[in-house]
Amino acid sequence: MLAALVAYPLVYNIGLSLRNYRTGQFVGLHNFARAFDDRLFADSLRATGVYVTAALAVEIVLGLALALLVHRTIRSGWARTLIYLLFIVPMVTPPVAAGVIARLIYTPTYGVLNAVLRAAGLPGGETLWLSRSDTAMFAVVSVDVWQWMPFVFLVCFAGLQAVPQDAAEAAMVDGAGGWRLFRHIEFPYLSSLLLLVLIFRFTDTFRVFDHVLVLTGGGPGATTEFLSVYLYRIAFKFFNLGYAAALSLFVLVVASLAFAVLSRYLGREVTE
Amino acid sequence: MAWLVIAVFLAASGASAAPGLPAKPAKLTMAVVAGGETKGLKAILPMWEREMGVKVDLVEFPYPTLYEKLVTAFQANAATFDLLIADDPWMPKFGSEGWLVPLDTTFGYARDADIFPVVYDLGSWPPPRGPVPPGEQAKPRRLYAITLVGNVEFLMYRKDLVAAPKTWADVVANAKKVHDPKKPMFGFVIRGAKGNPVISEFTPVLLSYGARIFDDSWKVVLNSKEAVAALTFFAKELKQYAPPGVENYDAAERAREVATGRAAQGFIWPAEITDIVENPSVSKVVGKMGYTLAPAGPGGKRAPLMGNWLLAIPKGSKNQRWAYEFILWATSAKVQPAYATGGGIPFRKSVLMSADMNKKFPFFRAMADSLSAPAEWRPRTSEWFAVEAILGTHVNAALAGLETPEQAIQRAAAEIEKHMREAGYYK
Repeated sequence: MLAALVAYPLVYNIGLSLRNYRTGQFVGLHNFARAFDDRLFADSLRATGVYVTAALAVEIVLGLALALLVHRTIRSGWARTLIYLLFIVPMVTPPVAAGVIARLIYTPTYGVLNAVLRAAGLPGGETLWLSRSDTAMFAVVSVDVWQWMPFVFLVCFAGLQAVPQDAAEAAMVDGAGGWRLFRHIEFPYLSSLLLLVLIFRFTDTFRVFDHVLVLTGGGPGATTEFLSVYLYRIAFKFFNLGYAAALSLFVLVVASLAFAVLSRYLGREVTE
Repeated sequence: MAWLVIAVFLAASGASAAPGLPAKPAKLTMAVVAGGETKGLKAILPMWEREMGVKVDLVEFPYPTLYEKLVTAFQANAATFDLLIADDPWMPKFGSEGWLVPLDTTFGYARDADIFPVVYDLGSWPPPRGPVPPGEQAKPRRLYAITLVGNVEFLMYRKDLVAAPKTWADVVANAKKVHDPKKPMFGFVIRGAKGNPVISEFTPVLLSYGARIFDDSWKVVLNSKEAVAALTFFAKELKQYAPPGVENYDAAERAREVATGRAAQGFIWPAEITDIVENPSVSKVVGKMGYTLAPAGPGGKRAPLMGNWLLAIPKGSKNQRWAYEFILWATSAKVQPAYATGGGIPFRKSVLMSADMNKKFPFFRAMADSLSAPAEWRPRTSEWFAVEAILGTHVNAALAGLETPEQAIQRAAAEIEKHMREAGYYK
């Protein structure tokens, strides 16, 4: 069963990547070699790098900070439940719907964001969010942060519940401030969870697709044409299945390597 | 005995509806695209079922899925569908693979003078004009499909504010006259999103400037001063009268700008008019819009773009004769008025040019003018989607100011050539 579900598509994909998609001829590693000579592929890789770094950094810092804030300041059970519920909404929103909502927010003329900025008298009320490369990148990253920062929050918050209350209280009695409390008491309980979050979020952001296609379509120009969007173009616009298969194997290898490296750390963390 | 003879006669005559037709099938299955394109079709189906006593089942797929489903069914020569509607850029693939039943040689389809010749050209393979893909030149030309949805792109303008533009210079003069972002009123709205949207918009400009993407032997001739002039006009001159952010506008945003009275001119496809621009429940400009042929470029050439949906019969169908009967019926002069009134986009001269019909559908005349111009089609190659994706990225980049028109044209031409070489178009 496992073989049918996992091995067969993988082997089929490897087979495709070694052939010319039109003639079916065996071409060896030609499709892989081609990637090194492909400027658009290099551009998409660079854009993906920016996206992954920005999304991961913001999601983890913000998610962790919010988890600490709620853990330390909000004690009421119903208030915490309300926060969980609010944070689950973005996670269960389909990415395509998130893209559509974001489109309505970032549209310059009748979009919500510019209207709010103008009403509040703030600068930037005329910004063409989806027409400039930097702001378009900001827009697609913001959707990822909105959807997945809550995931980081929920995992970290759950981790913080495992911190023994008496240890934290003892540290505070000893005069430990907020940072030292976090560094020495709370962080050890969170580190393995944060690694886990990193693995999940890295593999997810590296393969980002749906909301980008809806929000910018990879534009303006090719500035938000991330790896998966580029791969989609090669497979379903160019119908070059051989090259698309080779690129998808590249994505698979990078995601698996990241997984392997991070899970080694995770293993070490857990055994320590 | 006489009763028996009558009974046998009645039973026999019930088996087929018309002379020469095989027994009625239980139903005809038709693959269609989900969306407004089938509105007219749905309106006439009950008529067909009443008249002919054969049910037609519509199987609806979203646009990209329909293409994949059809290709998969054709490759397996499956009898899944008896009829289909296909977007016209799919014809090169379907025609060169030989997946459809020729309507002329199989059933003796006779051309009708009430149908624009370009409709027959579009449904024929190999194409009668322009470059023909390698390996296809020697094939005999056959008619494989007939238009059902006569989509063609033309220009709309606020007739209460400006005169009908005949040239791009007129469009700019009109735009200058009314453009006032503070109101806001924009002179020209561009559907500029990357890929298909911006290419649908830019192609009529490109061709009207006398530029082409390919010559008759598929050599890429896009990198020309005409193409650079067309893109400079589009991305600089025309854009200065467009609402901010058009680099990301698709059809919905464009129709919204016009329907809310914020834009005075723009390109339009027929379905957007009935659904939004002339729909009193959502539009503020009902009755204020004029419709006219795509403007002429500096050399006087006009290039309205076609986007027809065509009716055809897959080779795997077990009910080909009845499917053909349906095509004849649905595209007949008798049925087209009901089809148009029911929300369909017609394509017959008699319907598009009828004064009565134009009272109800004020854009029919512009459609007739566009189809007889004749309208231009996308280059007839199954590689069109790749070409569109490449050009659509660079034209969008030029519109957003990320590339100069020269850079955009040069890069697009080089990438298109590379792709066509890989696709086996050059020896």
